[in-house]
Amino acid sequence: MRLVLVGNPNVGKSVLFTRITGIGVISSNYPGTTVEFEEGVVMYGGKRISVFDLPGTYSLAGSTEDERVATGLLFEKRPDCIIAVVDATRLEQNLVLVLQLIELGYKVIVALNFMDQARKRFSLDVDRLSNILGVPIVPTVATTGEGVDQLMQNVISGDVQRSAYVTRYDSHIEAFLEDMSEGQVATEKGFPIRGALIKLLEGNQLFVEQFPPAVQLAADGYREEFREEHGEDVEVHISRDRYGEAGRIASQVINKLERKLTLRDRISEATLRPSTGIPILLTVLVGIFLAVVLVGGALEELLLDGYALLVGDLFDRLAALIGGTAGQIIANGIDLSIQAILAIVVPYILVFYLILGVLEDSGYLPRVVMLLDGIMVRLGLHGRTIIPMIVGTGCNVPAILATRTLESRRQRIILATIVVMVVPCSAQTVIIVGTVGQYSGIMWAALIYIILFALILLLGRVLHKVLKAEPPSLAIEIPELSRPSVRNVIVKTWMRVKDFFVIAFPLLLAGSLFLEG
Amino acid sequence: MKISENAEDYLACIYDLSRKGVPVKTSEISGRLNLSPASVTEMTQRLASEGYLNYERYKGVTLTPAGTMVAERIKRRHRLLERFLVDVLGRTTEDSHEEAMRLEHNFSDESVEMLSRILNNPTVCPDGDPIPAPQAPMEDEAPTIPIIELEEGEEGVISHLICDDPAKIRRLIGMGFVPGRKVVVEEHVPMGGPLLIRLDEMRVAIGRDYASLIQVEK
Repeated sequence: MRLVLVGNPNVGKSVLFTRITGIGVISSNYPGTTVEFEEGVVMYGGKRISVFDLPGTYSLAGSTEDERVATGLLFEKRPDCIIAVVDATRLEQNLVLVLQLIELGYKVIVALNFMDQARKRFSLDVDRLSNILGVPIVPTVATTGEGVDQLMQNVISGDVQRSAYVTRYDSHIEAFLEDMSEGQVATEKGFPIRGALIKLLEGNQLFVEQFPPAVQLAADGYREEFREEHGEDVEVHISRDRYGEAGRIASQVINKLERKLTLRDRISEATLRPSTGIPILLTVLVGIFLAVVLVGGALEELLLDGYALLVGDLFDRLAALIGGTAGQIIANGIDLSIQAILAIVVPYILVFYLILGVLEDSGYLPRVVMLLDGIMVRLGLHGRTIIPMIVGTGCNVPAILATRTLESRRQRIILATIVVMVVPCSAQTVIIVGTVGQYSGIMWAALIYIILFALILLLGRVLHKVLKAEPPSLAIEIPELSRPSVRNVIVKTWMRVKDFFVIAFPLLLAGSLFLEG
Repeated sequence: MKISENAEDYLACIYDLSRKGVPVKTSEISGRLNLSPASVTEMTQRLASEGYLNYERYKGVTLTPAGTMVAERIKRRHRLLERFLVDVLGRTTEDSHEEAMRLEHNFSDESVEMLSRILNNPTVCPDGDPIPAPQAPMEDEAPTIPIIELEEGEEGVISHLICDDPAKIRRLIGMGFVPGRKVVVEEHVPMGGPLLIRLDEMRVAIGRDYASLIQVEK
């Protein structure tokens, strides 16, 4: 059977996915990283279940790249069952998406995630919520695995039915729905007519195409009429009604408790307010730089020493075994490649990815983006671009990988170019500071940095102009800080370093053999 | 649009006096309201500057549409109250006038319409003067401002989004910027940075160009 995970960004969806499928997924808190959707297969209760993890999406309108990927996949995969992952601490906002899934006739199970956090803030009547929505609801804590078993039991039970819950809209919209459905119950693709008509009104292309031209035309006319009568777009009004509905439901099941500010809340606030947040940010940035260079450097020495001890004269014997010049080349090539991996890949990249994993899962990165967006935009860049640039001061390769986290292709191109061409990596830093600084004076070293910085600005500007298309303005959610799951960070780091091995080792080997030859 | 009781009395008085169809002179007003011509001149000039009156030198004043609206609203209350005092409570016509003068300023529009319904929607007052028709509920023109103009810590309610680009609208409503929802601006991040906005339990940072599209009522 096919199972799809759907939810807003920052609801712990990817962590839940890792819980369900085991390793095989990179999860992260940073908007954009899950644009490449994840797929895993799991055997549960004797059933083979394909699980798809969609990018986080706030609605099914399909207005951003992420949302388009999410809605498109949802449409194509025709899942037997959907797990709607909901952040229990932000029930109202999250219910809006659930209402849309129900409206489209999907069989939905709600995973009420972050339940541990929610319990501290209010009491939530899960049974009542389940009764109102007419869907099974399982409280979960993805980071600890609480509730995951029960969730999967529900999935394989086959008891999950389409909910009969109906979101009511403005009377004019209801009249339109009644007129247009003409007794029809479902579209040809099997969507309930009501839900499909709503999507038609919202202008979702995937649904528009399911209707004959006459109906499409009628909907266009209706949209115009609605705008004239109500002074607002029908899709805005539909959203307004949905939020109203979600708010009513939330208020029926939630009883707010007095909220005490915990230490985590205080830290969360401090990292957010510019007055404290910017000094913290600078500390973190310098900390990353130092950790990668120093800890990575120490690890490098340790590994190379250990390697030398371990290998001994193994490669000399290998060379002798093969014999001749060819033997020398091959043995040396393998030896140098392994050394390169140990000198570059393992120490620096491992350290960096561990830090990055923690920053991602704690919800800190959106804060960096928020605090620096103003400056970066002035430089013709974007708030999000700061992260790969920081990574680039460690090593360019992971920096290029980190550009994946950017929303648009255009930004990826700009940034990748800047990183490759200008941002000095740690090896270059060693040369600039160690060699130029040593022999020509520290002023010359400083001058090189100034030139590099000027080049970043210039290159950014030029590319900004050349690659037209409007830079997408910033609109990101700033989640509360949360404690990262150690397991998730390790799994994620492993996946990333493994990628690096698979891609980099053959290249290094080929390069070494070529140079030797 | 808050207007003082005093100004309401002036406008109502000018409304009565201008039924002849000619501009009303300062002396007529001062005679009727028992005030010195100097204070009447001062008040009419102020009302003119606020857009309720047109002031023509040597001729007098006339009501602007805005002034007429205020006057008719107050006249409607006054005459309906008179009817109520006379018809229901049995007061004399003279007494009812005095009392209605005092009550008219502090009666809500809703109550006035309920009163009218109870009295079977009369069209004339006890003296036989016509009762002006009810106005369309005063267009709730609480001025809206873009969210970017809210100070840190200020809250507002989203009234609408000014934008013709459906993709942007969808992005904004998708993130919860839906008319009718309460927003609190928590931070204007310095150096041209984004706005940090709280929407119930969720916080969103949006760039200033997005923020200029969202209109709110304070």
